[in-house]
Amino acid sequence: MLDTLVFVTVLLPFLVAAVLLVLREQNVRKVILVATAGVLALASLAMLRGGAFIMSPAPLYDTLITLGDFVILFVVLFVGIKRKNQIIIWLSVAQIIGLIILDFFMVKEHGNIPAFFADDLSLVMVLIISIVGSLIAVYGIGYMKEHEEHLHLTKSKQPQFFFFIVLFLGAMNGLVLANNLLWMYFFWECTTLCSFMLIGHDDTEIARKNAERALWMNVLGGTAFLFGIILLQKVVGTLSLQEILARGPEFAVAGGAILVPMFLLVFAGMTKAAQAPFQSWLTGAMVAPTPVSALLHSSTMVKAGVYIIVRLAPVYAGTYFSNFVALFGAFVFLATACLAAGQSNGKKILAYSTISNLALIIACAGINTPAAITAAILLILFHAISKALMFLCVGAIEQKIGSRDIEDMRGLFAVMPRTALVAIIGIMTMMLPPFGMLMAKWMAIESAHGQFLLMIMLALGSGVTVLFWCRWAGLMLGTPVAKAKPEAQDITVRAPLYILAGLALVVSFFSPVVYNSLVAPVVKMYYKAAPYALPYGNFDSPVGIFLVYPLFLLLGLGFYFALKQARKVTAAQCSQPYMCGEQQTVDGKPGFLGPLGLHVPVQSGNYYLEQFFGETMLSKWINVIALAVLVIMLFGGAL
Amino acid sequence: MLGNLINQGRIKSPWVVHFDCGSCNGCDIEVLACLTPIYDIERFGILNIGNPKHADVLLVTGTVNHRNKHVLKNIYDQMPGPKAVIAIGACGCSGGVFREAYNVVGGVDKVIPVDVYVPGCPARPEAIIDGVVAALEKVKTLLGMTA
Amino acid sequence: MITKIILAILALVAAPLLGALITGVDRRITAWLQSRYGPPILQPIYDVLKLLGKEPMVTNTWQALCAYVYIVGAALSVVLLFTGSDLLLIFFVLTVGAVFLVMGALASPSPYSQIGGQRELLQMLAYEPLLILVFAAIAMVTGSFKVSAVFEQTRPLLYDLPLMYIVLGYALTIKLRKSPFDISASAHAHQELVRGVYTEYSGPFLAMIEIAHWYEVILVLGLCALFWSTSVVGMVVLVAVTYLAEIIVDNVTARLTWRFMLKSAVGMGLVLTLVNMLWLYAQ
Repeated sequence: MLDTLVFVTVLLPFLVAAVLLVLREQNVRKVILVATAGVLALASLAMLRGGAFIMSPAPLYDTLITLGDFVILFVVLFVGIKRKNQIIIWLSVAQIIGLIILDFFMVKEHGNIPAFFADDLSLVMVLIISIVGSLIAVYGIGYMKEHEEHLHLTKSKQPQFFFFIVLFLGAMNGLVLANNLLWMYFFWECTTLCSFMLIGHDDTEIARKNAERALWMNVLGGTAFLFGIILLQKVVGTLSLQEILARGPEFAVAGGAILVPMFLLVFAGMTKAAQAPFQSWLTGAMVAPTPVSALLHSSTMVKAGVYIIVRLAPVYAGTYFSNFVALFGAFVFLATACLAAGQSNGKKILAYSTISNLALIIACAGINTPAAITAAILLILFHAISKALMFLCVGAIEQKIGSRDIEDMRGLFAVMPRTALVAIIGIMTMMLPPFGMLMAKWMAIESAHGQFLLMIMLALGSGVTVLFWCRWAGLMLGTPVAKAKPEAQDITVRAPLYILAGLALVVSFFSPVVYNSLVAPVVKMYYKAAPYALPYGNFDSPVGIFLVYPLFLLLGLGFYFALKQARKVTAAQCSQPYMCGEQQTVDGKPGFLGPLGLHVPVQSGNYYLEQFFGETMLSKWINVIALAVLVIMLFGGAL
Repeated sequence: MLGNLINQGRIKSPWVVHFDCGSCNGCDIEVLACLTPIYDIERFGILNIGNPKHADVLLVTGTVNHRNKHVLKNIYDQMPGPKAVIAIGACGCSGGVFREAYNVVGGVDKVIPVDVYVPGCPARPEAIIDGVVAALEKVKTLLGMTA
Repeated sequence: MITKIILAILALVAAPLLGALITGVDRRITAWLQSRYGPPILQPIYDVLKLLGKEPMVTNTWQALCAYVYIVGAALSVVLLFTGSDLLLIFFVLTVGAVFLVMGALASPSPYSQIGGQRELLQMLAYEPLLILVFAAIAMVTGSFKVSAVFEQTRPLLYDLPLMYIVLGYALTIKLRKSPFDISASAHAHQELVRGVYTEYSGPFLAMIEIAHWYEVILVLGLCALFWSTSVVGMVVLVAVTYLAEIIVDNVTARLTWRFMLKSAVGMGLVLTLVNMLWLYAQ
């Protein structure tokens, strides 16, 4: 049974991807994709029921993985040569040499290490990847159809597109289930390659450029990863993640020898999670079709980066290095939140907010207390759902109104009421109680309790976060008509939107259950203590209390009451906005009655506070500071 | 009971919005003078709120002309009921010395219903306060609060 | 549990009435400072009663929703404070209301409402970090974010956190939109803004916002009271002195720009916090 499940979640996507690559029939592709999504979701749920496990597949696979490693590295090298990118060339050459040394000279007992192991953290990740990721793939069907019609392609490029999308899901599942770090390295490189191909999918000048940037940054991370595991092999003498987690803390305490490989692995995670100074690859990735951005930002890729950091957290708990990780995370959280506040491009706001939230997860991993790790895992979960939802909304909106600028989304409710409402639900679940994201943020802030520098950055960052979400939600409501005609939408686009919105609400409501069954066991396993008691389903600890059910009940009732009051408002009670008595509405567009009786439509814009949050000015400083913290982290942590 | 309380509130809290409908500023100065410590209309709960959507009483000064009659109408329409209109000064009441001018429509009551007329050129602050009180008396009768 | 429910009901019913009286006294003292006689103490209640009786008028239905969610958020945060819940949680619930108020303002194309909404966001940006820092500082002293933990202290928080009290005062001036930070809306007639973020709310919806404001006054004064949690007299005196100071500042200062507000709030807030924390460590 277990064999089948691992096969389904990891290998099946690879096989399906291969089929999709050769398949040109649109309808069959649709059926296969939906079926795969369903199977993946079910398999991940079944796996969750099964609980923790260890598994070793046949030795043949070990050889295949090694072979796959080299294939990927040579492909990357080939890309580097073709693009004449020195960084990519030398980094991939370094990796090839490193891999040869590791594979053929250092690791003696190939196949003795179980390839897969899963605890609740891995299982939560598999759940996110298989459900959220699959929904995004399904959304891709409807989206890509319109996307290609828009581009007037003579020959559909969808086979490649879905090849990489589905491959990505398999690689991610492999990555989070891997026990043997060599296997993890293979899947790690797989995601790098997939993201490169997907970002460059549209093959425009800018797409090629951004894909190349994503590649070199991630290859740098990959190199760090490889050298990290080479050093681990030297220090601990094994590549089994389980054993490292069990024995690592000894080494961390003993002499800090393990902290250098830890730094390299965490650094790899930071590049993958697009932390400053590497944030530009993720913001550049928005040139790709929206399902790609959604996939990269929510359930895959960047989550691989934070996964490895959270995964290894118990090993470096209580070290100086850990404090620096926390500091770095908190700084990037604040810095990228500021960057997001200065943007009017919807996708860019989402991109920076992703980086900001990932940084918060990293900060939690650095704080490294049971409560902080709980916050980190819950953030990973809730962020994946809400962020996927937001991206899919922006994609749908962009296809309809032809812009991703939030200024153009003013009064969106009149044009596409359903998507606008779903997007507002997404924003609410991102920033307000009683939803999961905010609860996890509450945990994060309370677990930073006592570390004042961290606290200051988290406080400032969360203030800025409210700023950019709130105005986006508000301006979408700005519409003269209360009842708008629902927009038409492909079912493969609409269904994922509704399912994700539903998930965002329902999973938040059941967060005590999620905590009890998924998060608490894994935190207890590594930290020997559970951070929260759950009286009446409220998160209670000596440090603070978060009321989940009472808040849901009271705010829910309040909201219901408010909605009922709002329903009572009749069309007759609607008046014109106040414009000093000079208002005039023409074709439903509010405006002023100007000189000579001309109609002057109303135009408004948000404050983007260029002076404080200007991107070019701020990015420079952020990169310098982030780099400095990283350098100090390496040397300070190693000392 | 709540209805009674609300009526109490209506009498005790008339918020005014002042609209200068082409006045010579004489009456406007007098309206603003009501706010000063000497007259202190806030004693009666009167606030100059500056927003028709929040106001109960519309104070109009000056003659209505063809360029601004729609503005007057718009502002009146944007006041949620119950509401009252007070025309202030000779111009507001009847068009004053300008009433025969080619561009003038006339007094405020040519465009919107006026409840109280406060004559004077300019109207004195005492007269304006009197006008508001008269408007409140009228409201009282309408609400059935006086015998 | 029973006491908590009683406290919650007390908070729901008594808080707005008390808030209304305080607002009435505020207007009276303000008038006195301006050599005027001023309205009756019960004036805020008359105002709200009148507003409740007015014809509802909106620019779109979302505004009605937003006004009601605003009052729900404000009322709930007061209930949480009275029942001794978590300080950060109270703050986040308060944010729900604030966010909806702004959303409602941004939902109208009126320029006054738009500017008011944007400025209100900046006010939030200025006071939110300060409040979180104050709460974090309280947690440093008491070891917990729970309000109930504050009341287990044997000596007033003010001894340990005098500078944080100033930070709190700064944040509260911004939160209550009192001069010099009446940037997004004002109780007085600032005609160039009309009524800022409130412009498009009218009648019963404005009444809801006024009542929510009373709740906020109580919440704010309740937070101040935490700094002298050891005796009731101390609480009352501290709150009275603080509010009086607020009124005087409100009357003697002119409105500042939002740039100054942001810079000074963040700058001064951070400096005072750091100094106070160093002092706490040194003790």
